[in-house]
Amino acid sequence: MKRRNVLLSLAAASTLALPAFAQDQLKIGFVYPSPVADVGWSAELNAGRLAIEEAFGDQVETFFVENVPEGPDAARIINQMAAQGADMIMLGSFGYMNDGISLAEQRPDLTFIHASGYLLADNFSNFQSRNYETSYLVGMAAADVTETNTVGIVAAFAIPEVVGMINGFTLGIQAVNPDVTVKVVWLNSWFDPPKAQESARALMAQDSDVIYSLYQDTPSVVTVAEEEGVWVINTSSDMKEYAPNWLLASQIADWSSFFVNSAQATIDGTFEGEAFWGGFVDDTVDVLSWSSSISPETMTMIKEAEAAMRAGEFHPLTGPVMDQDGTERLASGEVIDDVAMAGIDWLVTGVETRIPQ
Amino acid sequence: MEVLIFIVSGTLAAATALIFAAMGELVAEKSGVLNLGIEGMMAIGAAMGFVALTLSGSYTVGFLAAAVLGCLLSLVHAVLTLVFRADQTASGLAIGILGLGLSSAIGKSYEGRTVAGLPELDLGPLSDIPIIGQMFFQQDIMVYLSFVLVFATWYVLTRTKLGLVIRAIGESPENAHALGLKVRLIRAGCVGFGGAMAGIGGAYMSTAYTPLWAEGMIAGRGWIVVALTVFGTWIVPRVAFGAYLFGSMSLLELSIQAFGWNIPSQAMSVMPYVVTIIMLAVISRNLAFIRLNSPASLGAVLKI
Repeated sequence: MKRRNVLLSLAAASTLALPAFAQDQLKIGFVYPSPVADVGWSAELNAGRLAIEEAFGDQVETFFVENVPEGPDAARIINQMAAQGADMIMLGSFGYMNDGISLAEQRPDLTFIHASGYLLADNFSNFQSRNYETSYLVGMAAADVTETNTVGIVAAFAIPEVVGMINGFTLGIQAVNPDVTVKVVWLNSWFDPPKAQESARALMAQDSDVIYSLYQDTPSVVTVAEEEGVWVINTSSDMKEYAPNWLLASQIADWSSFFVNSAQATIDGTFEGEAFWGGFVDDTVDVLSWSSSISPETMTMIKEAEAAMRAGEFHPLTGPVMDQDGTERLASGEVIDDVAMAGIDWLVTGVETRIPQ
Repeated sequence: MEVLIFIVSGTLAAATALIFAAMGELVAEKSGVLNLGIEGMMAIGAAMGFVALTLSGSYTVGFLAAAVLGCLLSLVHAVLTLVFRADQTASGLAIGILGLGLSSAIGKSYEGRTVAGLPELDLGPLSDIPIIGQMFFQQDIMVYLSFVLVFATWYVLTRTKLGLVIRAIGESPENAHALGLKVRLIRAGCVGFGGAMAGIGGAYMSTAYTPLWAEGMIAGRGWIVVALTVFGTWIVPRVAFGAYLFGSMSLLELSIQAFGWNIPSQAMSVMPYVVTIIMLAVISRNLAFIRLNSPASLGAVLKI
C-alpha cells in the first residue's frame, strides 16, 4: 500500500467547496490516489480532466480531490462529491471500486468511470490501457541499443497488467535480437523510490545497460540511469526532462478520448457501463520521446509494428510463444484472447526471473 | 566483483540515513524518552532538506534546515511528554503522523521533482584504488560524517560526564532530580538532538541517496530505526552494526533477484528484516545484560 497522508486528504476534503453551478452544466468529480505532480499516474488522469474541460468549455465544471487513500476516506469523499451535485465521477484507483459500485447502485442518476477495476454496472464503466502494445515497441528499441545483451526491469508487483507488459517488452526485444536476457527485480511495494533506485543499481551492477522502469511513479529510476549513463525506458509519463541524454522512450496512456466520450454520453443520456480497454486502435496508448540513438532500421521496424497495431492487424502476443518452462502457450499464428490476456500469469521464455508465486 | 562493489559501497550509503536517525533515537531513549515519531521527523527532514536545497542551492543549508525542523518537531514531543506528562507512546505516534502531514504540505509544490545529488567527496589517490577505493572512498561526505557520529555518540555516552548524566536520568529521573540534575532540560536536549539527527537522516534520503522529493518516500525507514535501537539493546556499536546489516541485506536481496535465482521474491523482501532481527537477537541474547542496558525509565511518565 502506498503510504499516504491522511491529514492532508482530510484537510483537502473538508475544504472541498464547489462553486455555484449553472443548472445545465455537467459536473464531473475526479478522485486521484496520489498528489497531482508534474508526472505520474495522477498527472495522466488529470490530463484527461483537462481534455474534458477543453472539449466542452462552459458546458462542464470539473473538480478533483487528490491524494485520497483507498478505504473509508475514499468512500466519504466519493459520497460527498455525489451529495454536492456531481453528475459523473472518475475514480482513479483500483481500491475505490467497491465504494464506487455501491454508490453507483444507490444513485442510478450518476455515471462512474473507474480505473483498472473489473466490476461493471449500467452506470459504471471501468477503463484500462493496452500498455503491452507500447511495451512491445520500446522492447524493440531496447534490443537495438543494448551492448551487453542484458536488459533489466524494475517492477512493482506481478499483477497481470505488469506481467503482460513484461511479456510484450520481451517479445519486442526478441523481434530484433533473440539473444537478449531479461532480468526483473520485483519491489513487492507500490511506492518506495529509494528501493526502486537501489534495484536499478543492482541490475546495472549485473550488466544491464537498459533499464525498464515499470510503473515507478517517481523519477527515481530515470535519474539514476541518467547519472550512470545507462539507457532507461519509463512508463506512465514522459520523463525526458529527467534523463535528457539517456531516456530511450516513454510509454504513456492518454485518457482524453475515453474521458471525453464518457462525458458526452453522460450529457446525452446514452451512457452504458463498459469495460474499456484502449490501445493503439483508439489512440489511448502512445510512445513519446524516442531517442535519436535508435538505429534507423530498427526505427522503421518499430513504426511498421506501430502502424500494424493502429490498424488492429497485429497483437504482440501472437504464437509461437513459449513460457519460461518451454511449454508452448500459443501455437504458431494463434493470438491470445482478451480474457487470457487480462489474467495472464506466465512469463515468456527469455525472461530470467520467475514470477513470485 | 561488480556485484560485491555494489553491495559494499551501496550499504554504506543505504545505512547512512538509518545511522543518523538511530544515533539520535538512541540518545533520546538513553535519557528515558521513547520517540515513536522518527518516521515523521525523517519525512519532514526529507521535505525541508529538499526544498531548502532547491531554493538555496546549498547542501549545508538543506541539512541545517532539515535538522532545525526535525528538532522543532521533536521538541513538541518533549514538551508534551515532559511538561504536560503525556504518554510517550501516544505522543510519539501523534507527532509522527503530524510530521508526515507537514512533510507533504512542505513538499507539495515539489512533488516528483529532482535535484543533483550530493557529490562524492574527492579523496584523491584513495578513491582511485581499484575495488577498495570503489567500495569505500567514492562516497559523499555524509557517509563519513555518519562514522564520526557513531564514534562521537559512543564516546559521549560511555566516556564523558554528560553521558553519565544522560544515562542516570534514563535509569531513574527521580534520583537524578534529587541529585539536582536538570532532568527536563537534559531530556529535552536529548529528544531535540534525536529530532535533529532524524531530520538530517531524512534530508540525506531526499538530497543524496535518492535525490528527489516524493511524499511517503521514507517508506517505513523511521520504524526500522526504532526497531534497530531496541534490538541493538541501546549499545552504540550494535545499533550501528544493525543498520549496516539491514542496509546490506536489502541490497543483497535485490542483487539475488537480479541474478535470476529462483527464490520467491516475497521471501527475499522480508529477508533484511528477519536476518537483522535474528542477528541482533543472537548477539544480544543475554537477558541480564539487556536489562542492564535498557534505560529503566524508558516510556514511563515523569513523576517529578
